Amino acid sequence: MTDQPSKKPTPSEKVRVAPPRLTSDSLELPGPLEAIEAFFENGWSDGLPVVPPTPEAVTVMLSAANLAPDAILGVEPVKGAVVTAEKAAINAVMAGCKPEYMPVVAAAVDAITQPEFNLHGITVSTMGAAIMLIVNGPITEELGINGGVSAFGPGYRANATIGRAIRLIVMNVLGTRSNDGLDKATLGHPGKYTWCVAENEQVLPDNWSPLHVTRGIDESESAVTVVSGLSATQFGEHEANTPEGILDAFAQRLYPMGPGVKQVILVICPEHATHFTTAGWKKEQVGQYLYENATKLTSEWIAMGLPSGAQKDSNAELSIENGDPPISVLDSPESAIPIVVGGDGGAWSAVIPPWSLGSRSKIVTRPIITNK
Amino acid sequence: MTTNASENTFRVLDPTAPQSIATDGMAERPKSLQGLRVGLLRNDKLNSEPLLDAIYDVLAERFDVATAYKINKGDASRPAEPDLLGDFSNEVDVALLANGD
Repeated sequence: MTDQPSKKPTPSEKVRVAPPRLTSDSLELPGPLEAIEAFFENGWSDGLPVVPPTPEAVTVMLSAANLAPDAILGVEPVKGAVVTAEKAAINAVMAGCKPEYMPVVAAAVDAITQPEFNLHGITVSTMGAAIMLIVNGPITEELGINGGVSAFGPGYRANATIGRAIRLIVMNVLGTRSNDGLDKATLGHPGKYTWCVAENEQVLPDNWSPLHVTRGIDESESAVTVVSGLSATQFGEHEANTPEGILDAFAQRLYPMGPGVKQVILVICPEHATHFTTAGWKKEQVGQYLYENATKLTSEWIAMGLPSGAQKDSNAELSIENGDPPISVLDSPESAIPIVVGGDGGAWSAVIPPWSLGSRSKIVTRPIITNK
Repeated sequence: MTTNASENTFRVLDPTAPQSIATDGMAERPKSLQGLRVGLLRNDKLNSEPLLDAIYDVLAERFDVATAYKINKGDASRPAEPDLLGDFSNEVDVALLANGD
């Protein structure tokens, strides 16, 4: 069934020759409450109530990002599943997004469908990764994406709904769902409901670039970075007041992953970040220090009982046939990807372990294109 | 949901998309394994090989199957390369797959 939007055109729609035509099938129900229940019954929800996606709401969502309904935002490489702007917008409405969030959702779809992200692998795997979105640039302030107090917690509509939109797209458009489908996570974690955060660029150490600039985007632009993340390991380090001491504490949380980690997100809280400013450390020194100092002897790694298969793509060789050399927990200095996130009080940082130790899913950054 | 059609005035859109890959289901069962070539396709995980070998051993005990033809798709998180599968399908009559976590 084809739906014809009936709402009064917004200014951006007036330039079109004809209103965009939505082509999704539709359901006709008595009202919003019945629609919410119908979406539960059809398995189209993540387990929470959704905002019913009316044609009017979806049209406004598309207009906010200047997207035609049939625009292709991404194609999942393994299954060839196409994510059109219309389907993404429907799921964004369901998630509770404001229309102005749609450019972030669109950029995130572009990012997660890049082959190196290995979306199919991370979403069907028993390892149970979630998709973490890290947003940088002016749009974080414009949309109110939280990167401060309780950054990973509830209470901010942009964080909650943008991350949820991506999960609903994975479930509904790509067909990867745990309630009846391909998602075979043994445990999963709460980030699979929603996981979107801003980097707290206001409190970066002096002379540190924000994440999107480090990854090649101009500082004046906004961008989203996608990460296949396992549940975060938070730790307190309230005594160390040097970068070395803080990074030594990070190292203790990296060791359980085993040697040769290819990519890992280091969430540095603002209080810890101040010590990098005091010491005059550059951002690149973080990875260099950990690569050189977060090491264990080969025999120690073996004694930890870590499966060597997990490191098969790394440079780490878990053999003591020719001696017992130290091996770094990181595959290279660039394997460490620091971000600064969180509220001012408290010395609580975290490690986000990557799916497959970062070897088979790569972090991807894409610019956010707005109407401005 | 049972409703009176005349009351259904609230329209919402289907959020799902048709899946682009057809699910062909399982291949037709052979009537017998007698003399058939058995392919073992493991997914690169440590336990997939002993699991497949054990199943093959059981088959070999019960049936006069040909020697196993074994390949490893090389990456548990990605599909096998089409060329690899093409060669595999030319070499075997029946195939066993295993995910050996």
